[in-house]
Amino acid sequence: MTKKFSIIILCLALCMGVLLSSCRLNSSNLYETHEFLMGTVIIQKIYHKDADKIAKEVNDRIAGIESAMTINKSGGEINLLNDAAGKEYVKLGEDTLYVLNKAKQYGEISNGAFDVTIGPLVKSWGVFTDNPKVPSKSEIDELLKLVNYKDINIDFENSTAMLSKKGQIVDLGGIAKGFAGDAAIEIYKKYGVESALISLGGNILTLGGKPDGTPWSVGIRNPRGADGSYIGIVSVKDKAVVSSGDYERFFEKDGVRYHHILDPKTGYPANTGLIGTTIVSDYSIDADALSTTVFVLGLEEGMKLVESLEGVEAVFITEDKKIYVTDGLKDTFTFKDESKEFEYVEKR
Amino acid sequence: MLKKGDLFIFGFVIILIAVSFFGVSLYKNSGKNTNKIAVIIKDNQEIQRIEIDAVNEPMEIMISGEYNDIILVEKGRIRFKEADCPDKVCVNTGWLTEKGDMAVCLPNKTMIKIEGQSSDVDIVTY
Repeated sequence: MTKKFSIIILCLALCMGVLLSSCRLNSSNLYETHEFLMGTVIIQKIYHKDADKIAKEVNDRIAGIESAMTINKSGGEINLLNDAAGKEYVKLGEDTLYVLNKAKQYGEISNGAFDVTIGPLVKSWGVFTDNPKVPSKSEIDELLKLVNYKDINIDFENSTAMLSKKGQIVDLGGIAKGFAGDAAIEIYKKYGVESALISLGGNILTLGGKPDGTPWSVGIRNPRGADGSYIGIVSVKDKAVVSSGDYERFFEKDGVRYHHILDPKTGYPANTGLIGTTIVSDYSIDADALSTTVFVLGLEEGMKLVESLEGVEAVFITEDKKIYVTDGLKDTFTFKDESKEFEYVEKR
Repeated sequence: MLKKGDLFIFGFVIILIAVSFFGVSLYKNSGKNTNKIAVIIKDNQEIQRIEIDAVNEPMEIMISGEYNDIILVEKGRIRFKEADCPDKVCVNTGWLTEKGDMAVCLPNKTMIKIEGQSSDVDIVTY
């Protein structure tokens, strides 16, 4: 009799287990916010009981980073740095100094393919304005003389920095969002969040996996499809996934398509046969800088650079609609192209 | 040894387990693609919520601001129909029909989102 009872109780316990385990998943519900900041949309998906408070703190932090580092609004530290170019050292906050130094490092790593002193050319092209234009060849050649990451002088002892030449402009547009993403993850960790995701205008950061323990599925935008369409998926936990592409901002003039990623060597939009690049790494500041870098470098050189860096993986999409991924990403990348226009090249 | 009655109880409990699994999965999937709520956000404020499956007559919603957007809602779908912003990304996004679908007009700080999760991906990098 006792045996029978124990079997029944065991079975009932199993039933309860099924019910309880399904409740546990709902115990801390998904909290999702959208906020317009840094010239884009910030989406946060957080599983935590204090998610609303945490999301607000993250948005405030991002707004602070934006006002320190933007050159699209007045005020802020980078504007001070640019205004004092060729004249004097200016005092900068810890965040700005860190990002500026990282930007300079990526200038070195990429041998100038990534260069935040591209500012004068960005301004001249007006890619981020309502009225973009193609500057004259002579204007571009003149402005190229101002583009050189080596002219960023940083004095860590006094927390100051200076640009060597008058007229030089630092534009952190290719790296500041990456930094802001890492700052957001720090805040999540401070509150003990175990499962969260943030998108800063398509720069994705994941903390942990989903509440059920499975990885997050991050779609990789189809460069020729509509917003939200994708050509494949990477399954990740605790990773940053950042993309660059010629589809983000562009304009057409006399039948030619001009996009927003300028090659610091030529002063014209990078034209290396790529239409989209995606970097997967631990920190989004690296992923952000590198996605732009490899877009400018092209498939061969970009692949070489990524393979030389520890813990960094990449997806490359070429203009003839072929997709290449680094070896370390072959297991986490799933080719899924609803448009049926792309080809996944597994072996090069 | 198990008697006939024991087998009966045993079978009953197994059915119970199966039913509870089935019930839970049914419950979890119940909200999958029904009750689609579209939310319109302007300048970080939610300005309208629409249950798009319950819309029988097409309707237009005007959004004014730095630019002007016209949002069109039909049964089960919603989109930016017109916009006088320079890039027209929002209009080119087309119809939103599934949970998790989203269209954004950055210049006008306006977005439409259908609440809920897409079943295929959690987010898209761009």
